[in-house]
Amino acid sequence: MPLTREAVVEGLRGIVGPDDVITDEQILVESSVDNFRKLQNIFNVHTMPIPAAVVMARSTEHVAQILRWADEHGVNVIPRTGATATEGGLESVVADSVIIDGSAMNEIVSIDAYNMQATCQCGVPLQALEDRVRELGLTTGHSPQSKPVAHMGGLVATRSIGQFSTLYGGIEDMVVGLEAVFPGGQVTRIKNVPRRAAGPDIRHVVIGNEGALCFITEVTVKLFPYFPENNAFLGWTLKDMATGFAVLRDVMVNGYKPSVARVYDPGDAGLHFSHFAAEGDCVLLFMAEGAAGIAKATADGIQGIVDKHPECRQVDSAYIETWFNDLCWDASKITAEDERIRQTHNVNRTTEISADWSSINDIYQAARARIIAEIPDITMMGGHSSHSYINGTNMYFNYFFNVVGVGPEEETSKYYLPIIGIICEETLKRGGSIVHHHGMGKARAPWVKDEYGSSYYVLETLKHAFDPNGIMNKGTIIPLSTK
Amino acid sequence: MSSMRILACFRVTPDYEALRESAWSAAARRSLSSSGGAETGHDESAGARHDEIAGPAGFVDTRFVRRILDCFDESALELALRLSDALVGLGVTSGLGALSVGTPDADPHLKTLLALGFERAARVHTEAALDFAPAATAAVIAAYIRRLDRRDLLMLGARSGPGGDATVPFRVADELGWPCLTQATGVEPLADGRLRVTVMTDDGLQRLTARTPCVLAVGNAVVSHLRVPTLTDRLAVRDRRPDILEPADLGVDLTDALRREGPSLTTLEGIDRRRQSILIEGDTPRAKAQALFDLRLKSLLEDL
Repeated sequence: MPLTREAVVEGLRGIVGPDDVITDEQILVESSVDNFRKLQNIFNVHTMPIPAAVVMARSTEHVAQILRWADEHGVNVIPRTGATATEGGLESVVADSVIIDGSAMNEIVSIDAYNMQATCQCGVPLQALEDRVRELGLTTGHSPQSKPVAHMGGLVATRSIGQFSTLYGGIEDMVVGLEAVFPGGQVTRIKNVPRRAAGPDIRHVVIGNEGALCFITEVTVKLFPYFPENNAFLGWTLKDMATGFAVLRDVMVNGYKPSVARVYDPGDAGLHFSHFAAEGDCVLLFMAEGAAGIAKATADGIQGIVDKHPECRQVDSAYIETWFNDLCWDASKITAEDERIRQTHNVNRTTEISADWSSINDIYQAARARIIAEIPDITMMGGHSSHSYINGTNMYFNYFFNVVGVGPEEETSKYYLPIIGIICEETLKRGGSIVHHHGMGKARAPWVKDEYGSSYYVLETLKHAFDPNGIMNKGTIIPLSTK
Repeated sequence: MSSMRILACFRVTPDYEALRESAWSAAARRSLSSSGGAETGHDESAGARHDEIAGPAGFVDTRFVRRILDCFDESALELALRLSDALVGLGVTSGLGALSVGTPDADPHLKTLLALGFERAARVHTEAALDFAPAATAAVIAAYIRRLDRRDLLMLGARSGPGGDATVPFRVADELGWPCLTQATGVEPLADGRLRVTVMTDDGLQRLTARTPCVLAVGNAVVSHLRVPTLTDRLAVRDRRPDILEPADLGVDLTDALRREGPSLTTLEGIDRRRQSILIEGDTPRAKAQALFDLRLKSLLEDL
């Protein structure tokens, strides 16, 4: 028999003490959603089951005790740190869930500048870690747009990626070891080594688990030398995305590792670059960094590749540098954006996918055309590729729509989910992945079987093995009911 | 009244928020330079490698940041649209026009306004932004209304970012001989053809009734964002272009007008925005809350 709401709160108080069990109604209401339903949060209209409590974990032992207790009583728990999720991964879809908040576990445990790795607790803001290692002339190399507000635990849990990924990789390339707690309270440490071949790489059971398997309490990430004085920026305007994808492919196939390699379609370019790109232009841009010789060779090599495409017209690099320096979203920008939405009812959403070079332009064109044709009230439909690999790239669809004729609670069903559906369909049809770096959350979980195909067996087995009682973040990655 | 012709004026400014601190400090250094800015420097801050360009004292290099609507003008544009919507509800025909004086940076915004239903969008071309040129700007706007596009109501921001001195609405009103209502934050039509205008005063909000023609200088309004046209709206005006005029088309000698401008920027110095802070210590949230109460809130309550 499920515990009552009151019993859940009492149980938690018995573990962490009364001060760290939050039952303030407004906080609980706001904690029932993440940015997937940001319109509901902006207008303070909530439709999801309200969690029973937010519990502030202050140690690995706390987390272990909470998970042991939750497993014993069948209480659904939702791990979170910075609470910047965008895909519904932090939504409470069942009544009386418990949010385990690791943001108070915010100690930078060690910075090892000789072995080039830093260890920190899950609640350390990435910006705080980055600021500390910068004092030593180092960088984490991780710079998602959410850097000022996201925390390390959540970044690892969602398999995040940063703006410099083409050089430094995604978070999965940066994590060398970690500590996590599984249901039942099992604490697991994966040691920090450069590489090993002792069976499967079990880091990847934890990285990207989105709180559906375990709670990440500590991570160790790589560090890199930081040479900002060598940064080189390059930018061009061009007329079509196919050329942009072709240039990105040439750069990657020829072995260059710019930290940033992007192509923006006309809609997205209009948002960012209207001060130098004409209406209808795409924008191609790169940033090369690293030791002086490497940065110069990278920039020169890219210049040589783009020079073979005379349709690309080079722009002053200061445009790219100035834009890039203002790209991250801090709290003030988020507040300003919320106010813009409140006044205009014009909502910005993004959906990111990946595919091989043969398919990416087809997916972009097909999804874009369908969304414009099938979804009402679209004010901008565009996107960009921002993370490239030897065999393909991502597409970050960026779109705006006016919410017309429905309340905030129906925004997802009238606009957002149908758009996600189109993007997923067009991506799956061509063999791509429906999620590049935001995580599945609950928003894209309905497509999980199509995404995994026959390998769904592995995912499902992991879930059953590590979370046999199904207490970990119900509905995330694996939906409550599969379609 | 069967119709009310409204003109909303706006200015496009660099997105100063996107400028790095180094751009301002470079400008301040130029201000200090007795040569008026022929120096060249190197920005040592992270990631920056561009040499400063030469420029006059106080010159801020904004070439590489995007252009945005001035925030007060954006309020004026949205309020004009809302007024127009309300007039239609009263059976009054409203003709909405938009005017900008400046460089082609305004043209994308003019196209957006056409998509939002403005019947006319025009720009009076100048080679450079008219910073610190309120008399010249006002002369152009007044001439546009007087000679080309008769209007009943002019709405524009009370001031427009750095480079504006908040006198343009007064100067236009003076040239046209119209009254000017300042710090307007809202406007709605009355059945008798007059307007009810909400203005912000030192003592709070005041509601005034105004007859047209008049100038509304829009201040710090709650309405601060312009609505967004759909792709369908944009498609409908795909072939329309803003009217591009020269000052001479309006009988304005811009060179002469600029020569007569009074103020000019001579120096620029940064504002120290650092604030003193105290870290609240405590082992628990309750202890921290108590410490905050003891330190600050308790005395405030006692002063009540």
